Parts: sequence; C-alpha cells; structure tokens
Amino acid sequence: MSRVKRLVRLARLLPAFVALAATPSRADKDLTDYRYFRALAIDLAGRMPSRAEVDAFAKPGFDLDGWIETHLDGPAYAERVRRVYMDLLRLEIGPSFQFLPPPIMLRRETIVGPDKKDIYVYYRRGQRRRDANTDGEFCLTEADTGLVLQKNGPPTGTAKPVSQAALDRSTVVVKPWWLYADASAEAPADRYGDGWGQRFPGYMPVPALLTEPDGKTATTEVRVCREETQTAEYGMVFASGQKPGPPPPGVKHVRPADSGFVKSHAGRLVSCLSSTGFQISVECGCGPALERCLPSTSSQNDPPAFVLPTHTPLGADLPFELGPQPISSWSRFWWGQEAVRFLDDVFLQDRDFREILTGRATLVNGPLAQFYRFIAPATCCGPGQELDYTSPEPLFDPSRIPPLLPEDTATWVRVPDRGPHASGLLTMPVFLTKYGSRRARAHVVYSAFLCKDFVAENLKLEPSTEPNLMVRPGCSTCHATLEPMAAYFTRVAESDWTWLPPAVYPLSHPRCDAKNPPGFCKTAYDPAFKELRAAYASPAHAERGPAGLAEDVVAAPEFPSCVARQVAQSFLGRQLTTDDDALLRDLAATFVRSSFRMRALVRELVKSDAYRLANDWKRAP
Amino acid sequence: MKAVVVLLLIGCAHDHLEPVSVTTLAGHETLAQDTTPKERRRMVPPEVYIRTYLELFGGLAPLAVQQKARGKGNLFDTWDDYLSALGLPDLRVDIPRTTQTNAIMIATFERLGVALCDRAVEHDLAGRPPPVSERTVFAFDAGATDEESFAGKFDVLHRTFLGYPAGLAPSGRTARFFDLFRDVVARHAAKDAPKSAFKPEEAGWAAVCYGLVRHPELVLY
Repeated sequence: MSRVKRLVRLARLLPAFVALAATPSRADKDLTDYRYFRALAIDLAGRMPSRAEVDAFAKPGFDLDGWIETHLDGPAYAERVRRVYMDLLRLEIGPSFQFLPPPIMLRRETIVGPDKKDIYVYYRRGQRRRDANTDGEFCLTEADTGLVLQKNGPPTGTAKPVSQAALDRSTVVVKPWWLYADASAEAPADRYGDGWGQRFPGYMPVPALLTEPDGKTATTEVRVCREETQTAEYGMVFASGQKPGPPPPGVKHVRPADSGFVKSHAGRLVSCLSSTGFQISVECGCGPALERCLPSTSSQNDPPAFVLPTHTPLGADLPFELGPQPISSWSRFWWGQEAVRFLDDVFLQDRDFREILTGRATLVNGPLAQFYRFIAPATCCGPGQELDYTSPEPLFDPSRIPPLLPEDTATWVRVPDRGPHASGLLTMPVFLTKYGSRRARAHVVYSAFLCKDFVAENLKLEPSTEPNLMVRPGCSTCHATLEPMAAYFTRVAESDWTWLPPAVYPLSHPRCDAKNPPGFCKTAYDPAFKELRAAYASPAHAERGPAGLAEDVVAAPEFPSCVARQVAQSFLGRQLTTDDDALLRDLAATFVRSSFRMRALVRELVKSDAYRLANDWKRAP
Repeated sequence: MKAVVVLLLIGCAHDHLEPVSVTTLAGHETLAQDTTPKERRRMVPPEVYIRTYLELFGGLAPLAVQQKARGKGNLFDTWDDYLSALGLPDLRVDIPRTTQTNAIMIATFERLGVALCDRAVEHDLAGRPPPVSERTVFAFDAGATDEESFAGKFDVLHRTFLGYPAGLAPSGRTARFFDLFRDVVARHAAKDAPKSAFKPEEAGWAAVCYGLVRHPELVLY
C-alpha cells in the first residue's frame, strides 16, 4: 500500500476518531461535556439536570445516546417542540375576541320570588316566544316583576314579588349540566361537590353559580324561562306578523320583525342548534339539561362563570394563577388547549409532522365535545337563511364527537377523522379566530411553514381604484402571492368556522347581479368581483379549501428546510446564517428521509456540533 | 483636501454584496476554521427555569410553592408578578417570548432565588433538619465547616444549581465562595450583628446559595 493510500485511509478514519473523542462516555468528562449534558436536559427533559443525573453522567460508561433516545420519547421533548410552533403561531385567544353568540348565552336575572326572597331566573336574550310582550326578551314582564330590564346594565324600577302563577306560567325548574354530572338521567343526583376535583380537575364553576342569591344555600336546580328549556332539534319557522321599523311612541318593547325568509318559509323546520333556529323559531331551546347553553351569573354581557387558570406555562394541569373568568373565556381556553394537545400528540407519537396542517385528527375533552356538538353551530348562518342555509355544514362532523360529559376536562380522546373539511390546525377554532381574516390565515402559514414573509417594495403609493390587489401598484408585490393563498379560506367565514358549502354558495351567485341584491350578497360576495369574498384571486384554491393550502404547503420545496430552520433556531437560540447552510441541509434531508418525523430531526440536531458547541461560552468568574 | 476625501470615499464605495459562506471566498476553501457561529449564550427557557425551581422546592405544584415561598417575611409575591418578567410569552395578547435577559428579569431571578435559598435553609438546615437524602438543596451534613469540608459541600450546591462539579469551574471559584461563607458567618457571629432569622452558619450557606442562584451560568446555557 502506498504511503498516499495509507494517508487517505487514515484521513477517512479521522471523523470517527473525532467523534470518539467528543463522545462524553469516558471517565474524565470535561466542562464542555457537562454543559452539553445540561443543554440536553434543558431541551429534552424540560428542566436543568438534577444532582443525581449529574452524578450518573459523571460515571464512566454513561450511555448518553440511550439517555437522548429515552428523552426523545417523553412529554418534555414534545413540549419543547410544541413551544417552537406555539411561539410562532401564538395559538391562544385573548379577551379581545369575545365569543358571546346569543343562542348559547344563558343570562341570569334576579327577581323577587312569591315568598319575597330573591330568586334567579335564567334566560336567553333574543329568545323567541309566542307572547308578544316577552318575545325576544326576558320571559317575565314589568307587570310581573316590577323591573325594567336594561341591556348590559342593572334593571330599573321597583322590584315586587312575582306571583306563583306567573312563575309557573313562564318558567321551569331544571337540573342543569353545569351542576350535575348525570344531568341527562331521569333523576339527576350526582351534584357538583366533593370528589369532583379528582374526577373533573379543572372544572370549577364560580361560587355564584353554585349558590342561591342568599350566597349560602346550595343551588340544586335552576329556574329557567320555559322556552329556553325546550329540547327539540328542529323548530318551525315562526312568523309573528311584526313588520320592521322603529317602535311606536310609548311602546317599550317591540318583538323581532319577520324577515323575508320567515314570511316565505313559515312552518318550515330549521335546526335549533343554529343561530337561525334561535332567531326565527319559538320551539328552539337550550336542549336537555340546558346542554346547548353556557351559564352566566348576571344579565351583563360577559360575566364570570368558571374559574380558569390565567397562566399555564407548564400546562393546564399545573396552573400558576386561578381566578373567575368571563364566560367567553371558557370556550377560548379550551380552543387553545385543543391545539396544545394536538401538537403534543403529533410530537409524542412521532406522527408525520405534515399532519399538523393536513391531518384530520384532533383531540377533544368534555368542554370541547360540548362545544363542537352544540356551541359551534350557534354562529351559523346569518344571512345564509336567504339561501336556505339553516343547518350548518360543520368542519367537525358531530357524529364523530366522543360522548364526553361537558364537565370532563381531564379526559382527552383522539378523534382520528373530524370530517372531510378538516385540515390540521387550519380548521381549528383557535386558528380561525386568532387569525380572523382570510389574509391573516394565509400570512401566518406562509411565514411559519415556508419561512417567508411579505416585504413591501419601496415605491410611492398612488391613489387607485383598482380592486384587484394582485395588480394594484404598491400592493401587488405582496398580494400577488397573498391573495391566492387567502383564497383557500374562501369557504370558511372570517373570525368564525362556518363553512360556506358550494351547493349553497356557488362562486358567483346570479341573484347578486340584481340591482338591489339580497343581504347575503353583501356579506358573502365581493361586489367588485361578483364572486365569493377572497375567491377572485384563485377560484381553484377557493374550491380546494384549507386542506388544499395544507397540501400545497407541505409539498413546497421550502417546507422541510423551513421546519428544520424553525426548530434549529429555537434550539440554538439564534438566527441561522449562511454558515449554517450545511447543517440546515442535513437536518432537512434527515427530516424528509424519516418521512417528516420531528424526532429524527431533533435527534440529529442535538447531536450536531452546532448544538454541542452552541454559543461562545467564555469562562465565567 | 476635499478632493482627496471625495476620492477616498469613491474608492471605498462598492456595490451591495449578498452574504455568502466564507468557504466560497478565494483562499478560504481549505483553511481549517471553526464555523460555529459565535453568539450570545442562550437563555434557559423560562418554562425550564420554573420547572427546575418547583423541583428544588420539593416537586410542589406552582400554587403550593407560592404559598410556601411566601411564608414568613413575604419573600415571594405571586407567580402573576413574576411570569412575564421571567420572559414567558403571553400568546393571548401576542407578547412574544423574551430570549435575552434584562434588568427586570435579573432582579426577578434574584427575588425568586433568594426565596428559594431562604426556604431551603429553613427546611434543610434549621431546627431539626430532615435526613440528607430528603433535602432538596443543602444535601449534606452542615456541621462545622472549614475550608476543606466546605469544598465538598459547595460541590453539592454547585452540581445542584450549575450542573457540573465545582472542580471543573474556573479556578478560584470554590475559594471565593468559601471567603464569602466565612465572612458572612463571621458577621453574623459578631456581637453587634443585626438580628437575623438564621444562625451564623445558616446565613453563610444562604449567602453561598444566593451567589449560585444569581450566577449567570444558572440562567444561560
């Protein structure tokens, strides 16, 4: 063997020697080894290494690769990677988004009972009633109670005891879901109390929901306006004969006016889960045990109802601050938890990472099951009734929702397939409300999953009447890309999850060409393009929906390297530069080779020199 | 003179260059080089800091730690007062994660660290302490401490907080901490010493603990 060949062979062995020297399994571990181990513990175990772990690491023969493998299988690893994407997508909803659809809001009024003691009566504002005096309002009149109810304010007038006859005529006593775990039973007996903390951790109604007005007597049943207790799934369209217009002088209450749809469809059945049913039928209520409604503690708009954690940096199971939260927080909180659980499931089970955009699966607990089954449809269908759209086509097929109690906050069930419109995070309420507009939805996907952003060109903006932003000077630089992406969300209503099905909402509607187009045209169709809003940039994208966007994004050549970049930047604690190109290439290749498994990517990253030697650790004093 | 300046400026002017890898530059293809980017140290994620903190408090739940840490003397306010200062994001209102330390954050680390150290002294050293195996921070027999025995005890604390043996620390660290310990013990033992909840040795160990929980190596990695 020539000398040159020997040298070449030696050179080939060099990386192995280097790796051997760098492997901290020898007895004389140095500071770099310990710091590497500490970094691994911080990133993969979610905490600094314990003394026992440091001692174990110090021993000769410590199996660091085995330690890494074990921790790549644990919840702390999943949480670490989840944090990368939660920081990017910020999937929690703040108080600025008030989710208070009237059909689900069970308000509470305090009146004086026949025995001259205060009693609570629950009702929905806007509830349709046959009695013209109370239609759309509280079920007891001023003549009954002496009170004049105000919207979002305390009642005026002088309270007087309501007669038993009026009370019996207008109200019913119910054992509601928020007080009884067996509320659907014939004689509910499992009332909120001792033991519920273990069975349903995290489920805590505020004290005002658990006691009578005296603040002492435990509430065992609630008094509710009669119409609200109805359980029918469908109700008939009710025409009251009321014409639109301001109330006549001196008239305090005017019942809701009949819409064009009501006039032409009186007697027809509409879904009681939808807002439409609530608005136009006197037969729609809150369902058995009031399961379609959320309770509140006053007639105000967003009063406290449940105690919820305000800070959960280590997860909802470890609250750092608990306090009574407005009723709208209940839904918002669980939407955020759905995203957390969904991401954890993808990372912990090492599923194909692309599923976070494309997957139809999700995880739900009791409050989310209740939300998807009864609450979500309550935002539908608005002016869609003019198109006969009164039974919402859901993003989450209700037949696939597991039978969980609304109180059951602790049981999380994986639903493998939400239905044909579902597409990972993109069709979850937390995403659709966090990013209310179609453009916002497209933008965050573009930046988080393709690592691109929109940067406006440097030019003077001129006044323009051009409605097409893809060609309007000054706008086109960004919108030529953004508009076609936003078009994927054409069929999901903004700040909402209502699906606009093609059979009801064709891309262009002939009735919208009329001189005085009906109301739905203004809300759903863009008058400039005579097409569904956002569809003009790409009708094809509009028809493919969010699932189409997910397919296209995960198939984009930038996707694997963007995932590698986002994760590496988070783990290395810095932006990647061109000096990291080789690392980025390797990570992306590993990611693709492993069929888009995050665990493979993180394994390669934490074993890389870039991670091992991350940051310039100068000697500390 | 003006002409010279103008000429110099023109000479120095150049077209905009895109950043490229150093290996693509002539003469740099084969040079041995450390391509590891040199950046500021990473900050330990606040979630990790908090989880470690809870474990050092005996693995208690956050609200239990809040109650225990507050104890006598209100060493601890509420988590709500600290969480954002520690750099946690508030995703509800789009406040991003803080990735570099700042003065308020350092003060918060100090506040939390002092609460931890004092409660640990009370639990591990004062009165009738539990067996060494049940101590979370001062997992050694305190006893009388001279320079020689200090090293072993300090090593326990060093590994607890900084994750490696004190013997690997930059030279002189153990000696400096012993000086601190000795000085604090002496001050607390002095006749005119202000009243303290701790005995001199306990105060000495508390001071050593303060030094470690404030150390930059604790919150950076």
